[in-house]
Amino acid sequence: MIKQIREYAALPGGFGIIVGVSMFLSISILGFARPLLIPYAPDELIGDGLAAPSWDHPFGLDQLGRDVLSRTLAAVPADIGVAFLGVSIPLFIGTVIGILLAFAKNRVFLSLVGSIIDGINAFPLLIIAIAMVTFLGPGLFNVVIVLALMNWARYARIARTRATIVLRENYVEAARLMGYPRRRIIFKHVTPNVSSETLAYALSDFILVIVIISGLSFLGLGARPPAAEWGSMIADGRVFLGEAWWITVFPGIALCWSAISISLIVEGLSRRDRAN
Amino acid sequence: MKLKPTSPLARKIFGRTIRAFSISFWVMVIAFALMRVTPGDPASARLGAGAEEEAIEALREQLGLNVNPFQQFFNYLGDLSRGDLGTSLVSGISVGEIIFNSFPLTLTYIAFSFLFAFLISVPIGVLIGWSNKASWVYSFRTFTSIVIATPNFFIAMVAILFFSVQRDWAPVFGYEPGFPGNMRYLWLPIAINTLILLSIISRVLLASVIDTRSEEFVETGIIRGVSRIRFFWFYILKPSLAPTIVLMSYMMGTMLGATVILETIFSLPGIGRELVSAVLASDYPVVQGTLIFFGVITVFLSFFGDLFAYLLDRRVKL
Repeated sequence: MIKQIREYAALPGGFGIIVGVSMFLSISILGFARPLLIPYAPDELIGDGLAAPSWDHPFGLDQLGRDVLSRTLAAVPADIGVAFLGVSIPLFIGTVIGILLAFAKNRVFLSLVGSIIDGINAFPLLIIAIAMVTFLGPGLFNVVIVLALMNWARYARIARTRATIVLRENYVEAARLMGYPRRRIIFKHVTPNVSSETLAYALSDFILVIVIISGLSFLGLGARPPAAEWGSMIADGRVFLGEAWWITVFPGIALCWSAISISLIVEGLSRRDRAN
Repeated sequence: MKLKPTSPLARKIFGRTIRAFSISFWVMVIAFALMRVTPGDPASARLGAGAEEEAIEALREQLGLNVNPFQQFFNYLGDLSRGDLGTSLVSGISVGEIIFNSFPLTLTYIAFSFLFAFLISVPIGVLIGWSNKASWVYSFRTFTSIVIATPNFFIAMVAILFFSVQRDWAPVFGYEPGFPGNMRYLWLPIAINTLILLSIISRVLLASVIDTRSEEFVETGIIRGVSRIRFFWFYILKPSLAPTIVLMSYMMGTMLGATVILETIFSLPGIGRELVSAVLASDYPVVQGTLIFFGVITVFLSFFGDLFAYLLDRRVKL
């Protein structure tokens, strides 16, 4: 096992991938195993407000006297879990629509859907998410809906471009000539080649989505209090930055830790691609 | 009627212009649809649960929601064609005026950030790209990817902690208009934006300089022995600049999105803060108008970016 990891790390980009994966796994495991590790619940008032970090509470206490370590870890499902949904739902919808568009023949339909995709992509994602939250109301569940409704268009554009190229490849032509049914061509030949591309985008999109979730919560439009979420914890600490930096800094480090872990993986994978 | 331009260059630009306008049209359609297709009635959401029936009806009429959706859509397009984006429900000021008053500030610090980021990126990108040392390139890419992955509001918080709380180098928040005075409030947001943009722009420039390096004309330049400045400008930088310009025009839109958060943190009275306060007050006309403004401006920024990059380097796809 250790030998295999060493060998992998020696490949181009391998070291970054291993560091990224272990950073990501460590915070996810700590987050989901929190009830076993930390005796305090995230919204339990256990002491004086703004108590500095100590052996008992390594990350200190927040303005209401809640344990910042417990809250930081309790936010993992809210941030990483919601980001996972916010990436995987658009990934699925976008890939399917993109592939269907590559097969579609009706020009009116094509230009209509194409224009909607371009129109949605024209908005900065954070702006359209903020506007939609106005109409839907704040909350993490609504953030997932907003991402599902707005983020698919980016995947659809990538999938459509890729699928159009794949459809012109010789192996698809060969499969057609051999009389394979269309379903088989879609699932066996087109989908794997398209989804490898959209999956690669999904990985870097994960960083963007996690920043959008925490950004919306930071503005008070995502997670509702008292739920623990990194963005809203950072916003809570804003007023107390002078006397209690730990309320802001530790959730911020957790947020960076997760985003950087993914970006190290993306960086490593692209380095490996370039080396091949 | 002779509308179609004949030369290939003009035809390409014409086609791209038509596309920019058609995407803008769809931006308006989407901004219109968002408010109508989402569940819940904007008027009752704005007035709260205890509002009277007549007040809700009156607000629906004021928002133009009392007629059927098709009629609403034509009214909406008619208003837009006259440049009328609606009127704020909170202050009674027209949305166009709100945007006109708040956007210059946002534009100022974004423009400064882009200027500085570009000026710093060029030497970094060209020098590291030209050296093409694996260790330099890799550590540079790792550093910039860390900066890009860090949310701007966390960078802002840490910057405030160091520069405003521990040292008194920048006010924690607030703003006063007027040129030299306002820089005291703006330098920190500009510095944060510059750092983020710098990381993004120099990465792309670096990648294209590395590509340019292996082109044959670069070797020709070395053999011909052109002066060093001429060499770096005409043989390295200019052929590598097109992707950077396309990216910068695209990033301009994304940066506009990110201003929402920075302006909230630093309490700058720009367009982003207007949007957030409109959202918190359920001020629908302002939200919708700002949304259209952001969408259309992003479309045209990317149009001009593509156009400029194409004129600079004809290998760019328009």
